[in-house]
Amino acid sequence: MSLNVGVIIKLEPDFSEGNVSYNPDGTLNRAETKNTLGPHSAVAAQAAFYAKVMYGAKISIGTMGPPIADLALKQAQEISDAEELQLYSDKLFAGADTLGTAEVLRVGIGKMQGEMDIVFAGHRASDGETGQTGPQTAWKLGFTFLGNVTSYSVDLETRTIRAKRLVSLQGSPDIIEEVEAPLPVFISIDPTFKSSYNTISQRLSFQKYQKEAKERVKNFNNYYKIFNADELGVDKTLVGLPGSPTIVYKVERVPKSTATRSAEVVDGSDPKQLQKVVGKMKEALEAMVIK
Amino acid sequence: MILEKYDVAIIGGGSAGLAALRQLSKLGKQAILLEAGTKVGSKNISGGILYSKKPKKGQVTNVDELYENFLEDAPFERKITKYILHSTSKDKEYSMDLTEAHDYQANFGCSVLMTKLNSWFAHQAVESAEKIGGGIIPGVHVKSITWNEGKAIIQTDELDEFEVKAIIAADGVNSEVAEMVEARSKFNPTQLYQGVKVIVKLPEEIIEERFGVSSDEGAAHLFAGDITLNHIGGGFLYTNRDTLSLGAVYHYDSLIRNPIEPYALIDVLIKNPLVSEFVRDVIPIKKEIDKSLPQEEQLRIRFGVAKLIKTWKEFRESSLSPSGRQSLINSGKYKTNESIQERLSIIEKQMAEKFDVTFGTDYVETEYGAKLVPDGKRCKMEKPFFKNILFVGDAAGRGVFVGPRIEGLNVGIDDGVRAANAVARSLDKNDFSESFMGEYYSQLIEESPYTLDMKQIDKDYLKIFLDAAKDVPKDIIGSRYGPILKMMSSGTFRGIAVKFANILGYDKLLPMIESENTYVKVPIQLAERLGATVSSTYSPTIPSIADRIAKLNYNDDHHSHIKVLNSESEFMKKIVTLCPAKCYSEEGGKVVIQHEGCVDCGTCSQETEWKHPRGEKGIHYQYG
Ligand SMILES: Cc1cc2nc3c(=O)[nH]c(=O)nc-3n(C[C@H](O)[C@H](O)[C@H](O)COP(=O)(O)OP(=O)(O)OC[C@H]3O[C@@H](n4cnc5c(N)ncnc54)[C@H](O)[C@@H]3O)c2cc1C
Ligand code: SF4
Repeated sequence: MSLNVGVIIKLEPDFSEGNVSYNPDGTLNRAETKNTLGPHSAVAAQAAFYAKVMYGAKISIGTMGPPIADLALKQAQEISDAEELQLYSDKLFAGADTLGTAEVLRVGIGKMQGEMDIVFAGHRASDGETGQTGPQTAWKLGFTFLGNVTSYSVDLETRTIRAKRLVSLQGSPDIIEEVEAPLPVFISIDPTFKSSYNTISQRLSFQKYQKEAKERVKNFNNYYKIFNADELGVDKTLVGLPGSPTIVYKVERVPKSTATRSAEVVDGSDPKQLQKVVGKMKEALEAMVIK
Repeated sequence: MILEKYDVAIIGGGSAGLAALRQLSKLGKQAILLEAGTKVGSKNISGGILYSKKPKKGQVTNVDELYENFLEDAPFERKITKYILHSTSKDKEYSMDLTEAHDYQANFGCSVLMTKLNSWFAHQAVESAEKIGGGIIPGVHVKSITWNEGKAIIQTDELDEFEVKAIIAADGVNSEVAEMVEARSKFNPTQLYQGVKVIVKLPEEIIEERFGVSSDEGAAHLFAGDITLNHIGGGFLYTNRDTLSLGAVYHYDSLIRNPIEPYALIDVLIKNPLVSEFVRDVIPIKKEIDKSLPQEEQLRIRFGVAKLIKTWKEFRESSLSPSGRQSLINSGKYKTNESIQERLSIIEKQMAEKFDVTFGTDYVETEYGAKLVPDGKRCKMEKPFFKNILFVGDAAGRGVFVGPRIEGLNVGIDDGVRAANAVARSLDKNDFSESFMGEYYSQLIEESPYTLDMKQIDKDYLKIFLDAAKDVPKDIIGSRYGPILKMMSSGTFRGIAVKFANILGYDKLLPMIESENTYVKVPIQLAERLGATVSSTYSPTIPSIADRIAKLNYNDDHHSHIKVLNSESEFMKKIVTLCPAKCYSEEGGKVVIQHEGCVDCGTCSQETEWKHPRGEKGIHYQYG
């Protein structure tokens, strides 16, 4: 009983220290900034890998982006040991909003080997995305959408999935909701997702697939395929700018906080200065105690 | 939940457990090895010299037979070609060449660092294990074993329980397996040594020049005399590729009689002028930063200096190693050795001109560690099995330790192979009973030449040792030594002395050999009367124990793996001094533990509820 898992990922600017660069006006300098697999996409790849270890799933990964996005596919393959990697790349796709992107992804997912049982996506991108691509792709595919999933298990016989979702409601504490749904489903994975492998056989297959992933990445090109709009066979009115009803009316920079704070630089190797810090921490702690 | 079933579990991924896995896989038998550390090798520490031996009677499986590519591919450090014993007293030193004793029945003996080596062993063993559904699961701590219809059920802190037909316990000197199933009682101080060790950095070619060895050779130096601070045991210094292993191994009961901080025994060794000179290196000295400068400027200078010094260290290390230079040249940035040398001078000039860095003499210590060592002569398990569990290596209390002969690694590897052979035979016959598997293993162990070495002194070995000591003046030897050892100074009587020693037997002989006379008094006299004067050009800056512990790599567990049972016992009060990581303190007459800095040595296990930390937790060595 097989399980086909798709993952949609995104190449994003690397916001880690030393890799990011800004223009003088404070906007991101995309040319200078290095790119990497988005952190949320990485979690989606991990969630897919979990299906491989637990259920022997076959994994296909797709992304829409420029040709350099093959880097993200490579990184995601190393995490997930995917056997199929697809890049959807065409000038036509430029300027797409989330709906335009979702259309490309929908068609792309249709090109993946076998019928998808689960498609994973990160819960949002880190470079100014609104978290809508996932749900919209799900809607276009006609798959049940499960958002903010923190863990899941699949019953291969009944072809159902049980998942835990983190539900955050403003003003009340977070709750964990447990849901069950028939496959296929589209899952946006929560960043707190952690895979745990509790049996010897799971640990052994975890190691086996991890090793396999390293080997696969070495032969990346054997698994990698690039599709343009024609090869995908997309309806050109539904992708890129024409397929994007969103009108960006105005982009506002987040105003600088009016609050100020005065920071004092402390030399950590000087015990006297540290003593001062400890004193201040004590004061602050004391102030917090409700008398 | 379905109970998973496997043929064999090996508990502990030290060199002994890994040998068992390797052998079982070679025999086509499936086995799962469980190791508590995050990575295999990270919890292991040794001296260490790993021997490959050719006993005149009986057979052993050597590391280079079990791992056929050992000599070509394994990351061992150096083949030891010089083995010298130094007797010390203040600035006097008398040396005896024991290379012949080191070579005795040996194919070779090489210095090793356990973290690296065990990780290589694991890699080799796993390749064959995986093919038959076995493998290594790191990060898992076994906490209990029960039986159901003859099959063992293993419980761990991390995984669902599972069932196996046979177990090989290779969980080291502080074996929880032995204790949990009551296969033996805890080893007591008369049966143990405490080993403490530091790793000293030294560039490859400086090692070769200073120790007079070529690029594939190494030296071992042992120390006795005043550096023992009146304890029974001594110091060692082994050359690795680009580090030195410097340590102290003492009889635990001698430490209990006269408690001393274990690191003090290392410190006194480092301060000995001979050793100071061995470990000496060039170190950069930073100028005090002008405190009147703006704080940002002070920070800028601090970072700048730190970065440049780091560059210098790395570059210098590469420049003083043939492989380092080759990779610099391969990188395309440098054409010749001269251009590398030039670059180094430029960095040094920059350090001096930009930041007023000067250069001085000191030594560079990187890793501190400690562990108990079972004295095989006194604690080898007489019945190394329990139900379907076989004990190997340190867990079985096995090792050959006599005077300068220090062998635990090779014994554990050979044991691992013997246990694997016994288990394989049982798998074929599907009989894991004590009478079929345990007794058979016991017989295999009994046939091991190492077991004989744990029961009696090898007279040929003793003779070599006595020959080396032939110049020792007769009157230095105290009356307690009796006639035997006095005879040794005479060539004609030496043979008789050795025979006589064997008639006396180990029980009578050991208190004579392992005495204050041998380790302290005679060496001091020797150094004072026959020794040469040595001096050192500097006095080493020795890190405090707090600094040493702070440098180690821990994965803290809020949950303490050690519980003090009686906080007012005399023994525990001594442990306050004897814990090598200074985890204990006495407050208001009560001994309390702070487990965070624990290096899992086992010294305090006598009177505590002692467990290894849970999987992935606690100390993780870089060198070991
Ligand atoms: C300072 C010093 C110097 C020495 N010098 C030499 C020398 O020069 N030559 C020589 O031959 N020998 C020397 N020895 C002895 C030698 O190091 C040991 O005999 C050898 O390392 C023991 O190997 P082992 O596999 O039996 O045990 P270990 O290496 O101790 O391995 C036991 C393993 O079991 C794991 N473990 C323990 N409990 C559990 C559990 N419950 N669940 C899962 N895993 C567990 C541990 O994490 C560890 O990795 C020296 C020892 C010391 C301390
Ligand atoms: S607490 Fe015990 S086991 Fe840990 S380092 Fe100290 S003596 Fe060794």
